Amino acid sequence: MHRHSILPTGLGRSLAFVTLVIIIGAAFTAVEPRFLSTQNIAAVTRHMAANGLAALGLTFVVIVRKFDLSFAGTACFAAMTIGFLIAGGYDLWLCILIGVLAAVVVGTFNGIAISYFGLPDIVTTIATGSIAGGLAFLYSRGRTIFQNFVTSGILDLNDARILGYSVSFFFLIALYAVAWVFMHRTRYGASFYATGENPVSAYFSGVPTKFYTMLAFIICAATSALAVVLILAESGTADTNEGANLLMPAYAGVFLGAALLGGTSVLATLAGTFLITMLLDGFSLLGVPYYYSDGVVSLILLAGVVLFDARVRQLFADLVSFVRPSTQVRENRT
Amino acid sequence: MTVPAISARAVSKRFGPISALSDVDFVLETGEVHALLGVNGAGKSTFIKILSGVYAKDEGTIEIAGEGFDCRNPKDAIRYGIATVQQHPELVADFTGYENIFLGREAATASFTARMDRTALQRRGDALLSRFPVEIDLSRTIQDMSAVEREIVAILQAIAGENIRILILDEPTSTLTEVEKAVLFRLMKTLRTSGISILYITHRLEEVMEIADRFSVFRGGRMIATMTPDEVREKNLSLAELMLGETMGAVFPKKGEPADLGELVLNVRGLRHGRLFSNIGFQLQRGEILGIFGLVGSGIDELSKVLYGALSKDMGEIELKGEKVSLRSPRDSLKAGIFLVPGDRRIEGLALAQSAIFNTTLANLGRASGFAGFLKRSVNKLKSVEYAGRVALNPPNVTMPVSGFSGGNQQKIVIAKGLFADADVYIFVEPTVGVDIGARAKLYGLMRELSRTAGVIVMSTDCDEVHGISDRSFALYKGRQIASPGTIFTRNQLLMAGIMGDAHHA
Repeated sequence: MHRHSILPTGLGRSLAFVTLVIIIGAAFTAVEPRFLSTQNIAAVTRHMAANGLAALGLTFVVIVRKFDLSFAGTACFAAMTIGFLIAGGYDLWLCILIGVLAAVVVGTFNGIAISYFGLPDIVTTIATGSIAGGLAFLYSRGRTIFQNFVTSGILDLNDARILGYSVSFFFLIALYAVAWVFMHRTRYGASFYATGENPVSAYFSGVPTKFYTMLAFIICAATSALAVVLILAESGTADTNEGANLLMPAYAGVFLGAALLGGTSVLATLAGTFLITMLLDGFSLLGVPYYYSDGVVSLILLAGVVLFDARVRQLFADLVSFVRPSTQVRENRT
Repeated sequence: MTVPAISARAVSKRFGPISALSDVDFVLETGEVHALLGVNGAGKSTFIKILSGVYAKDEGTIEIAGEGFDCRNPKDAIRYGIATVQQHPELVADFTGYENIFLGREAATASFTARMDRTALQRRGDALLSRFPVEIDLSRTIQDMSAVEREIVAILQAIAGENIRILILDEPTSTLTEVEKAVLFRLMKTLRTSGISILYITHRLEEVMEIADRFSVFRGGRMIATMTPDEVREKNLSLAELMLGETMGAVFPKKGEPADLGELVLNVRGLRHGRLFSNIGFQLQRGEILGIFGLVGSGIDELSKVLYGALSKDMGEIELKGEKVSLRSPRDSLKAGIFLVPGDRRIEGLALAQSAIFNTTLANLGRASGFAGFLKRSVNKLKSVEYAGRVALNPPNVTMPVSGFSGGNQQKIVIAKGLFADADVYIFVEPTVGVDIGARAKLYGLMRELSRTAGVIVMSTDCDEVHGISDRSFALYKGRQIASPGTIFTRNQLLMAGIMGDAHHA
């Protein structure tokens, strides 16, 4: 088996990523100088936190080669649970804990259904996501919940700053650091990768593949609930729309990162999320309506997926060799 | 004199600094079966890839039936009348044989309904079968077909196009049994009679003597000899030596001595799994290799999986080192000290995109990690390098993805994984499928080495392999254990036991 690559590898990929960030940053700054203002950079980092958390959990699911389309609905259910409890006057941390647990229940259901009962991942998660999104309406019959939000202290999560940057950003970085160590330096991470890469050989190697597949869905649900906590903190209210905007940026972050850095990993997702957030923020600063900017970011996501797909890369490599037959594609095999 | 089907002169091909082919002269006569031999990396694959349009040659000239060959892609090659069947042909599993053969050329004229015209497909398929008679029911889907039937469909698909004169087969027999091979060889002879020249790659030397009119040997990117099987017989040459370029010792290592025998590690009694096999019983000691010979469908694959906990047993007992064990998953088996080198290493044995280190350590992550599951990265790397040395991994690169290694070296990585798993019982299933002769001798040596400290079981559909490597053996025939009538099987007794279910007729 031989592979062709039209993208540089290793260090080259990192350099390509940095160059891309600089080019996009320069382009936005040229049109709108405020792009580089401390205020905007602080905003980018804050927005990045919510998208980044959702993308982090999704990374686990993508590494075991599954899809989770439920986490937007799950996040919404968690948001309304938290909002309902805050309105009921419970302690903020208890509310968040129960909200995350509510999401974990949905994630566990996904995980068991897909890994132990072998149900198709996409259909199952669309269904559970819709059910969770529907359940979210039950707390207030769909009305926005805002009672007690100001006094509960949840807004402080959004406003608190360390060195001028929002605390949520540091939380994000810390969680990514933990995830990176877990995924790339422990036997558990190796088991996730083995499960995704080849479930049969992983099973024959004694890896409990079903357990890891289930765990990926649970982690994904949990981080999307954490993401929605940050969204609640920023908006100061809970309504049944929360979480809906997480789906596309999370997928874009994971797949764009994988395309840029050559494979799904914690760092790749961080890089992808950074790029996506930067684009979304830049567009909103320029006053581009969200339905355009979402379109542009989704196009970039598509491009990322296309580049990530080995078959498509092969096609490009073949095209290149067809256009210039003299420079035959090299066989990497030794 | 007739014009040769292929006439190549001084063909060279380089990949960067590596010279894959240098100065190859080659002639394929019209209507001959010509085998290409060589160890992995000798250049035979590169050569057929040039002929099939996957690579472009750097230097030299090639003429097809006397006409200059200017080929830039596989489509061009088909225009020159050259069709290629890959080692693992890509067929659509739930389409019938007919549909697969004419996939993409369903209709002579473009129209929506023609595409669905099953009777027309069938008529054309049957016309093809009457030109090249072979026993096959093309109305069944690919997933219901045996390995040889799939190979036949792939060949019919390749030659269904207009004026195909040259057929290239890349290791067509690597997954076939003896019985199936005979079917394929009959088809190859039919094709030859109808004037199609066949060029085929194989690792099985005895086949060359059986089917090839002539063969060519590649070594180190050069074509070093072209001769006929008769010449080999007359001069009593060794094909293995020709391929390796050195006098080869025996392929199989020395048998074990009774003095090597140690503790009884495995004791199996009355094992049954559904209707696939029943009443299987044997014992295995440290220091010996037990061989089990059985054809495809005899139950050997399932037996290996039951012993490894991947399939459940319906009846019987498995005792490991004197203790009864219940194996519910490979995880249980690994903990108990059984390691399986599975038959399909690409699907069951390896994570292909990951490194040799990753694969080596995967079956024993407990040993590969320390406090809180942190991987001992430097220790693991050192161990992987050590085991790569022990199995003679080539290239000895433990960080590159294992997909970059040849079949034989991938198998060595699975063995390195077994070494790291540190088992008491090693079970090998079809250990040398798609492995060239040089690497094969190395693998057999490794099995013998493993048997010094553990019990080893080798299960295979290759009778010579089982007989050559094992100290004791039995055959599995349709799920029935056939023991030797004497103390030990002769090669022919074992063959008859596996094929007929009765060792006495040998």
